Formats: sequence, structure tokens, C-alpha cells
Amino acid sequence: MGKRLLSLLMASAALSGFAEAKTVIHVMHQGDPGWVATYGDVAKRFEAANPDVDIELIYAPHDAYNEKFSAAVMSRQLPDIMELDAPFLANYVWSGYLQPIKPLIDQDVLDDMTESNIAQGTYPVDKDLYAVGLTDSSVVLYGNRKYLEAIGARIPKGVDDAWTREEFEGYLEKLSKLDGVKWPIDTFRGYGIKTEWITYAYGPVLQSAGCDLIDRSTWKSVGTLDSDACVDAMAMMQTWVKNGWVVPQSSGTNQFFAEGHPAALAMGGHWFYAEAAASMKDDVVVMPLPKFGPKGASPNGTWIWGITTASEHPDIAGKFISFMLKDKQFRDYARDDSAYPGLKSFAADSPLYDAGGPMAVAFEQASKTAVARPPHPAYPIITSAFMGAVDEIFNGGDVKAALTAAAEKIDEDIDENDGYPPFDEQP
Amino acid sequence: MSDLVLSTAQVEVKPARSAIGSLRTVQTACILIVALVIVSPLLMLFVASLKDDRFQILADMGSFRAFWVSDPTLSNFQEVGNFSGQLAFGRYLVNSLIILASTVGFGLIVNSMAGFVLAWGSLRGRALILSLVIALYVIPQESIIMPLVIMVSRAGMTDTFAVQIVPWVASPLYIFLFYQFFAQLPKELFEAAQIDGASVFRIYRSIFLPLSLPALATVSILMGIEAWNQYLWPILVTQTDYARPIAVAIATFFGQDSIYWDRAMAASVLMMIPILVLYLAFQRWFVSSFVGSAVKG
Repeated sequence: MGKRLLSLLMASAALSGFAEAKTVIHVMHQGDPGWVATYGDVAKRFEAANPDVDIELIYAPHDAYNEKFSAAVMSRQLPDIMELDAPFLANYVWSGYLQPIKPLIDQDVLDDMTESNIAQGTYPVDKDLYAVGLTDSSVVLYGNRKYLEAIGARIPKGVDDAWTREEFEGYLEKLSKLDGVKWPIDTFRGYGIKTEWITYAYGPVLQSAGCDLIDRSTWKSVGTLDSDACVDAMAMMQTWVKNGWVVPQSSGTNQFFAEGHPAALAMGGHWFYAEAAASMKDDVVVMPLPKFGPKGASPNGTWIWGITTASEHPDIAGKFISFMLKDKQFRDYARDDSAYPGLKSFAADSPLYDAGGPMAVAFEQASKTAVARPPHPAYPIITSAFMGAVDEIFNGGDVKAALTAAAEKIDEDIDENDGYPPFDEQP
Repeated sequence: MSDLVLSTAQVEVKPARSAIGSLRTVQTACILIVALVIVSPLLMLFVASLKDDRFQILADMGSFRAFWVSDPTLSNFQEVGNFSGQLAFGRYLVNSLIILASTVGFGLIVNSMAGFVLAWGSLRGRALILSLVIALYVIPQESIIMPLVIMVSRAGMTDTFAVQIVPWVASPLYIFLFYQFFAQLPKELFEAAQIDGASVFRIYRSIFLPLSLPALATVSILMGIEAWNQYLWPILVTQTDYARPIAVAIATFFGQDSIYWDRAMAASVLMMIPILVLYLAFQRWFVSSFVGSAVKG
């Protein structure tokens, strides 16, 4: 009897041992409640299809994501898979946290990626792919049809006939005098300076005006960020603020379709469309970003998925990412959230972005005017220095002094890191 | 003549009383205005939690409509009050309560013991230790947070309740508060107990601790608020919802693209209730401790 009991205990211990022998894949991510629930559901479906794998989701709030990542690095608890903001990719790869992802992802997914998606996941030094995503992103100019018609504004049909700087500023002035318009434009200052918004959305204003955050061949910021073209572009934006044309930061992140529609235009992300259209129906006009100088420019890049060098099961991690990007319910949720396609098959399934679709202009920008944020390991400093300068400028500071200080800060960081080799040898 | 004098005196008193009355009215009005300003964010929070349209909440901010809800609903509370699913706020709330109760419970014991020993103990170099404890208080938490993360992860404590409790149980501020309170109690108490043969621990437990209700209340409230509002630390040292507090869960509503004001407000109201209960439970002693310290000067 005693032996039988012992055998039973041993058998149950062995079984529980088998039960615990599952491979655990840790996935660090951010996102709002809808996305958190969606990732959870995808994980459950993957576990059902792969009973020997447990997906453990690690949520980090958006505004504390970098701190969580730093803590994970320092405590040697990097997850297998991490969601990352595309412009930070170069820094992560340079620091040795990400591994090339191409051998780990299903070939049909790789073949399905748009050029812009490939660009946002590629490390410029070895030209290898380190992250993939279902989506990409862009910023467009939203307009209230009634207000635009009231001032007789020309409504562009596509990227090629975007408003010029003169047209745009002329319309802002006219809108500022129009009944019902409290602010001519919402540039979403309400997102604050702790998110990527300022660099992401306002950087293209500089690039359109003929300058940049940093010279992309010499990787020097002094002489570029504080050049005359950049000073002029930021002085232009400062004037909009001084004139009271821009929705102030204290008024939150939506005055375009808020009750009474106090803002006539909105320089908003593609994600803004779903909510704006639900509220304003046909009154929403989607236009390309204006040309502030010799060329048009728009941002790209979003949160994408990479596999860390700490992963002991990169093959399974890659299998999960491939599964997620192909998962129908996952795609359905993304499409309903007006997600910007980063896979061709997803684009084909997104009538919003198709030719003739209400957001077709946004998709057109990806191929014609999209400029990635500087793919350099110093990007965290580049973005924080620029955001600080913009904040100072919008609060009435001296434009030239603020941009020079930011440029010097960026160059100092690069110097302190010996040019982030091998970036110092990049052409 | 005397009538005239009396009459004059009456005339002089009347304006003085009237002036005092006016002053009181102005004072009352000022107090009411200040009270209204202080209470208005809380009122706005509560009203917003009863609205079911997050965009309307945003639109109402900045106007008096922020303080009025025409069609109140509890749907936000229903959504955030669940105990299962991906966003089990009920569970996060329970986690926070466990962390709060444990931190305050252990904190009262550890800090009061340390304060007592520093005030009445016989160990050498008490003054030096006290100086060191006070010096520790000026070190900002941010400067030690990453080394602390490494320590707890190497100790295998991540993703537990313990990692959110143990590092914050002992605090230089609360040790000092207890020290100050115990040091003010009469020496005769300690000596009489000693003559009666009581051990140091017995003197602490049976005599000094029961007398320190105001200090216990003050530390409970301050420590409770601190434990309840912890945000960055739990993010850094927890991975799953197993032991995560509600402050982290609320952050989910503040996404990259949009902010879910309706549910964030409801969750904030729920988050506020336990700490208000704690304050109301201890506020009598809390207030008396401040009054006492002010009187003692």
C-alpha cells in the first residue's frame, strides 16, 4: 500500500513536472486597455495552438516604458519579445539588446512588409532587419469641412497639391477670425513633452522647411538644427502660438471634434481619424501635411516587435510574432482602430487607406514624403533635446538660443560616446 | 452730560461690532472660496466618473459643465470594478490594499521600535546613529531606485508582494518622528518601569507604544499615502498582474494615442476611497499630534 502510494505521488510529481515544463515566452508591451485585451487574446489563441508554450505578457505603461526597459536591462530580466518605438531601434541594436529577426519570422510575413515597415525595423549599419510590425504610422492635416468652405479654402486632392506655407498661414489667419473657431489649429500640444509626439509630428516641419534635427551624413547637429532654415521654421510655429492660433497644452488632446468644434484644423496622427469620423461624420477632411519649404515631409514609424538577445527561445518568440501578425482577430481590432498598414495584405484589407479611401492621403505620404526619425544610437538624446527646445520656444523663449542649446547637447552626447562607432564611420 | 457721554459711547461701539462682523463675513467668504478651490478637483473627478463619454469629459473640462452631470451612469464603475479578465481592477485594488496594510503594519512596528531605541535605548553612539538616520532622509528615492532594482532582482524578489513592501517598511522620516515623540515623554515613566523590573521591550510595548497614538496615527496616514501612491517602483519590479497595485492599472488608460478619461476617473474614485477611510479613521489623533507638537513648540 505504501509503495503504491509512493508510486502515485511520484507519478503525480512527474506529471506536474511535465505540466511545468512549458516554455515561457515573456512579451513586454505597452498600449491602452483595448490593445492590452487584444494582446491577451492573441496569447491565449497561440497557447491553444501550441500547448507546450506559455506566453507571459508584461505590461508597462506608455509613459514609463523606457524606465521599465532600463530596469529590465539592469536586473538582467530582458523579455524574449519587446515592443519598441521604431526610432529607438538603432539605440537598442547598438547597445546589443536586439537580435536580427529575419531568420526567425515566417517568410510570408517578411515578403508582406511594406517598404516603410522594412525601413522602420532596419538598423542602418548592417542593413539587417531587427523588428517587424503589423502597422506603421503617419500624421495628416485634418480639417473641418464647414469652416474650410466658409473661408473658401482650397482642399488638396493628394500629396502633390498640398498647401504651401503661404496658403496654410493665410488660412490660419482667416480661420482665426471666423465665428465659432476658438483656435485655428490643434497641434496636440496636450500630448506633452514626455511622449514622442513633438519630435514625431513637428520634426517633418523642419525637414519640409529644408533642415533637420541632425545632419544624417556627418551626424552633427550644430549647424543643422540651429541653421537658418530650422530657426525660421520654429519661429513660424512660435508665431502661431503667440497669435493664439494653436490649442494650448492645458486644453487637452482634442479640440477638433469636441463639442462646438472649437479647433478648425488638427495636425493629428492617423489614429485620430476613427474618433474624429465617428464624431463628425462627413465633416472631416483629411489632407496632406503642408509644404513649409522646398519639399513635403511627413513622419513614419510606430511601435514594432523585436526579439532580444537575452531570449533563450528566439525561434518560439519568432513563431509567436508571426502568429500575432497573421492573427485575424488581431488584424480586425487593428483595422477598426484605423491602424496604418505596415503589411501589404493588411493594407488590402483596410479600405480606409485604399485609393479613394478617406485616409488614402496618409498612405500616399508613406511613399512620397515620409522621413524616418534619425536612425542613430543617440536618438534618445536627440528627441529629448529637441522636445525641450520646442517647449521653450512655445513658451516664448528665444528660438535660435533654444535650438543651439539643443544641438550642442546632442553633439556633446555623441562626442562623449566617441561618435557611437561604427556610426562615426558611416558615410 | 453723563447721558451724552453714554450715548456717545454707544455710538462708538456699534461701528466696532459691525467692523468685526464684516471682517468675519469676509473671512468666512475667503475660507469658503479656498475650500471650494481645494474641493473642486475632487468634485470634478467624481462628476466625471459618472459620465459615459470620454470626449464629453474632455470637452467639459475648463467650464462649469465639468461639475454637472445630467445623465449619471455607473457604467464606468462597472467596467473598472471587475475581478477577472485582462484588466481586473478589483484584483489590483485588493493588491493595493494588501501592500498598504502590510507596509503600514510592519512599518509601525519597525519604525516605532527604532525610534524608541534611539530615544531610550542604552546602545552607544545613539546620537551618531540618529544623525545618520536623519542624513538618510535627504537622499532622493530616484537616486537609489536602480541599484535597489538590481538588489531585489538578485534576491529573487521581483514580481512579489514582498518587493513592494520590504524596501519601504523602514523609513528615516518615520523613525525620526517616533524618536521625537518618545523623547518628549517624561523620563520618570521609563525609570519607574525599570524599577518595577520591566524589560526595555516591555516598557516599549506596554507603556510607550500605547501612549503614542498621535505618532502612530500620523505615521499610518503618511506611510499609507506613500504606499498607496507608489507608481514607478511597482512598474520596475513587477512583471504581471499578480501583485501589481491599482496605480499601475490606472496608467493603462493613459495610452499613446488616447486617454480614457471616463474609466480613469472611475478607477481614481475607487482608488481614493481606502485612503480616505484610513485618514478618517486616524484623523482625530493625526490632528492632535500636530496640535500637540505646535503647543510644545
